[in-house]
Parts: sequence; C-alpha cells; structure tokens
Amino acid sequence: MTPTQRQNAEVKGGGRVRTQPMFHQVLSARPDSVRGALMDVRRRFAGEVSDDTLGRLELVLAEVMNNVAEHAATDAGGTVRRTLPQIHLCIVRHESGLACAITDNGISVPADCLLPRDLPRNDVADLPEGGFGWYLIQDLTQALCYYREQQRNFLAFSVPFAEV
Amino acid sequence: MLDAVDHGGEMRVRVTGSRIDAAIATRFKDKLREIALRNRKPVVMDMSAVDFMDSSGLGAVIAVRKAMPENLPLILQGLTPNVERVFRLTRMDSVFEIRPAATEGPETT
Repeated sequence: MTPTQRQNAEVKGGGRVRTQPMFHQVLSARPDSVRGALMDVRRRFAGEVSDDTLGRLELVLAEVMNNVAEHAATDAGGTVRRTLPQIHLCIVRHESGLACAITDNGISVPADCLLPRDLPRNDVADLPEGGFGWYLIQDLTQALCYYREQQRNFLAFSVPFAEV
Repeated sequence: MLDAVDHGGEMRVRVTGSRIDAAIATRFKDKLREIALRNRKPVVMDMSAVDFMDSSGLGAVIAVRKAMPENLPLILQGLTPNVERVFRLTRMDSVFEIRPAATEGPETT
C-alpha cells in the first residue's frame, strides 16, 4: 500500500475526500542529511508528479537546505554552535503545484537573498563559481515568502507543475 | 566517482556517481581538477549517469574549467534533464561545449 492509498484507506465512496500526497521530515543541517532527505522526497513523489516537476522540486529544496547547512556551524555572533540547526521540511501537493514549507533554527537569511536578482555576471574570463543558489530558488518557485520568528526561519513557496 | 581513460588526443572522464551535490562537490572538484591538470589534454566528461546536480556541483565544474588552460576545452556530454536544467537556467550552457550522449558503435572523431 502506498502512503497515499493508506491515507485514503478509510475513505469510502460518497463524499470522497481527495487527500494529496504529502511529506514531512526533520533533519540535521548537514550535507549528507540533506542528500538523504532529497532522496526520500524523490521516492515519495515519484509517480505522483512528473519527472520534470520532481527535478525542479529537488533542485529548489537542495538549494534552500544546502544554504542552511553551509551556514550551520556558527551562530549570528560568529561563535561555534554546539548543535547543528534542525531543518523541518514539509511538502503538500496542491491543484497547481507542490506547496513547500522549510523552517530552521539557523542564522537569519540576509534580506537581499529574497530580493529579485540577476544571475552573477557571466564573464568568460572570470566565471562566477557561486551565487546561483538564490537565483535558482527564485526562478523555480512561485509565491516565495520568508519571515523569521524568534529563533526560526520560515520559508514557504510553491513549485508549479509547469515550468514558469 | 570519476573514471578517466586516456584516448590519446583527449581524456575521457565518466562520472560514475548519480549525484554531484553539496555532500561531494569539493571532492568531485579536486578529483576532476587533478585529472584535467595532470594530463594537459582536452577533457570530455560523460555525465549521462548523473541524475542530480545542484549549484555546488555546477560551481565545481566551473572551478575546474577556470583552473584549466584556456585553450584546452572541457566538453560535457550526455546531460540528463536535471543536469541540463541547471546549466540552462544559469546560462552556463553558453560557456561549455555540450554534446549529446555518445552513441554506441564506431568512433567518429
């Protein structure tokens, strides 16, 4: 029985409630945990959404969670943290896309990450090696919003079924 | 992670792992750079086994391109849709020579 069938197992004819596949996981902000979570997401939604949508979802989630992991070692004051931030990842399928919410207790996201941005300058003599992450996140998502409350970052967005 | 074979005029490198992500980007970069700089030949990298690459993986490929002498090409071959997307969205597809997957049969170089 797939998770979706299990969700629907008690639903019998008549006013059928259509439940949508969802995913929730709590993980440490480490590259190998991020990889594990992404592979779980892929397994969870394979066959439920197209390979194209799944590919865009995985890329966006990777960029967001890699950012958290990359800045996980120290807190805002620059002191080394005793424990890694925890990431909560939640995905629900909606009519038009996959609604995602990612929260973490790492350092706050700099405001300019959320501002509309261009690609780093593509200078052949001096190619940029980074700075693509937030560009990709903005490019592949809709309704991207962020806020910080107490010690947690909240990031929410939708990955549409059709490429924007 | 990488299989490198010297084909005389060029090095053919096959990425054997299915992911070039933040967990291995640094090791991937060091290994590829070592192969590219040791041999001083054009590099053709077969990426057909890679079904996921993030921006840290892209950064690793760019870093190796920058470490190589400008006159030596780094050619990417057999990009899967998830890998092609990253190059396309970042417009790095205009910086690298990208070839379709190698076909079986006699070589046509």
